[in-house]
Amino acid sequence: MAHDLSSVVAGFSHEAFGSQAVFRSALQALSHPGRCIPVAHDAELPRHGNAAAAVLLLAMLDADCGLWLSPSLRDSDAAMWLRFHTGCQLVEQAAQAQFVWVGAGDPLPALKSLRQGSDECPDQSATCVVDVHSLSAGADAETQHWTLSGPGIREQALLSVTGLPGDFAAQWALNHAGFPRGVDLFLATRDVLVGLPRTTRIHTPVEA
Amino acid sequence: MFHAFDSSAPNRPKPPLTRPDWMALLARAPMPVLEAALAPHSAAAPRWLRAPETGLMMVQGRAGGTGERFNLGEVTVTRCALRLPGASQQAPVGVAYVMGRSQRHAQLAALADALLQDPSQQPVLEAQLLQPVREHLAHEQVQRQQRVQSTKVEFFTVARESGGADDEEEGA
Repeated sequence: MAHDLSSVVAGFSHEAFGSQAVFRSALQALSHPGRCIPVAHDAELPRHGNAAAAVLLLAMLDADCGLWLSPSLRDSDAAMWLRFHTGCQLVEQAAQAQFVWVGAGDPLPALKSLRQGSDECPDQSATCVVDVHSLSAGADAETQHWTLSGPGIREQALLSVTGLPGDFAAQWALNHAGFPRGVDLFLATRDVLVGLPRTTRIHTPVEA
Repeated sequence: MFHAFDSSAPNRPKPPLTRPDWMALLARAPMPVLEAALAPHSAAAPRWLRAPETGLMMVQGRAGGTGERFNLGEVTVTRCALRLPGASQQAPVGVAYVMGRSQRHAQLAALADALLQDPSQQPVLEAQLLQPVREHLAHEQVQRQQRVQSTKVEFFTVARESGGADDEEEGA
């Protein structure tokens, strides 16, 4: 299994340009938290995992990175694909990973258990990429929505997300409270990326 | 680079061809042989999984093959991975790591590796490609041996005669 390339598909048709385009999207996503950023790419994709998450990791990872995959992704073709194209290390414990990829429907590891960085080096924290079912800007009457505020947001931003665990907002409040330490997070669907840096606050609507 | 076939005993029964064997042969194959044998397959562009890229690799050695591991030095290596033109997503992947900077060599070696994984292609390629490569490498080795042989120096040490003479001198 470990060396079976039969399920691996091609990455970006041009490695440098492809990664740069995706990196640009990631920068946009983190500098405008809560905004839905389309991800354009020309990579062939593995069958498992959301495309935006897969290409984001394809662009970001290198041989020095430790990646933790949630159970549904760990033995999938997505793991082989990332190993082949980026040379990243797959780690057993989420707490050791620089990057964490959580597949749709898999339980999210507690954000506090991931690498938080230190007060001197807050950049050494983990980056978490989470596959969700849907993302849309603005309030949606059908689904739960959040009001976001913080750096990069003029007043407030509305975001509707489906596919996150119920206690996510509470976990995120803890993560935000640990500033400057804490993890940064990307939410990903098939073609859209939303960035949630640790500076962003989530206000859940008060249940009436 | 030492391989099993560098010092194979002639009488040993021929073991079945394995992938590491043919990949090692292809990496050392001369370009004209590769070009000639793969001409029918190399016209169309392959489906690249990893386009040819050149870089450095650290070669490690062990003194006598058993000693402590040490870094011998860096070599330039070109590598690539591909699927055959028009192959499906699950088709076998040809991989090549070739010393030097020839991207064409890496491409042809990977192409041959992909073809050799199909048992029906093996006999043809064995005859047209691998056997000529083996002969070429054997020929090269013989030539190298002959070249080196001509500079061989025989060191003679005068055998010390049996102790009798010394004894006589002492006695005199």
